[in-house]
Amino acid sequence: MRAPTLPLAAEREGFHAPGIEIFQWPDIVHLEVAGVDLSINRVVLQMFFVGLLVWGLFFFAFRRPKLVPSGLQNVMEAFVDFIRNQIVLEVIGRDGLRFMPYLTTLFVFVLFGNLGGIIPPILFPLNGRMALPAVMAICSLLLFISVGISSQGLAYFKNALFPPGIPWPVYILLTPIEFVSTFIVRPVTLAIRLLANMIAGHLILSVFFVATGYMLTSMNISTLFGLGALIFSVALIAFELFVAGLQAYVFTILSAVYIAGALEPEH
Amino acid sequence: MSESGPPKEPPGRGADVVWSIIGTLVAGVLAWGFIGWLLDQWLNTRFLVAVGIVVGMAGAFYLIIKRYGSG
Repeated sequence: MRAPTLPLAAEREGFHAPGIEIFQWPDIVHLEVAGVDLSINRVVLQMFFVGLLVWGLFFFAFRRPKLVPSGLQNVMEAFVDFIRNQIVLEVIGRDGLRFMPYLTTLFVFVLFGNLGGIIPPILFPLNGRMALPAVMAICSLLLFISVGISSQGLAYFKNALFPPGIPWPVYILLTPIEFVSTFIVRPVTLAIRLLANMIAGHLILSVFFVATGYMLTSMNISTLFGLGALIFSVALIAFELFVAGLQAYVFTILSAVYIAGALEPEH
Repeated sequence: MSESGPPKEPPGRGADVVWSIIGTLVAGVLAWGFIGWLLDQWLNTRFLVAVGIVVGMAGAFYLIIKRYGSG
């Protein structure tokens, strides 16, 4: 298994582009409980680390909150303000403030997971593996279903599956579509959107950097192109930084939109 | 959509509408494609999955127009 950051060792054998295998890490601790594979590899350690980091950041920022924030509290308040004003109040309204803890945690956790992709020495986007996006999407799914049931009762399912203003025979055609679109396509697209963006970003960065290293060390005309690629790679990292933030934002805002949709009957 | 003019639309709703339309299209094809496939298995035919996909797409279009079309 080759680490994605390792420059190409076999110079004389030609260029080997890194492929999807850079997402697979060997087990560090092999663990199996009741037939379920609970082995710990680098990605799992990174999950623990990011979870601990997010917890620690919020804990130390708000342990002794001051009226005039400074330092860490200032930074973390910026996150909270952003979620509150740009996502919760915009999408759900004041009623949504009780979902602040979930949405803030979601945003910060997804963001830090993504940022691992461009921060040395981690250089791996946590959400490039399906586990976390899938679990977070299921959390959002369960959350908006329970919000719907608690605010509308069982009428939630009636409102979700039978859109108003349509002659009844058409429901035979539309209700299966509504069911699949609300309870299956929503969480699946939520997870895949994040996963695919992170996989693509990590692959592009890996191929680009391995190729840059290969060109720089090839000691012919390619070395010149390698220099150009090295400069361009800075822009690529900036782009990945943008994608990391954007995908965290999209994941959070769509979760908020689904919660808002469950709070009141559609239209 | 309500009959009265559009009330204040929060900016976040843009993403909502776009993803909802895409989601509905995909869901239409999946839902009725699956029903058609099930019927194919049951009746030992091969064309109902295609019929289902077309029906699902039509249904999805109807739903989208009904919900987001100007009217």
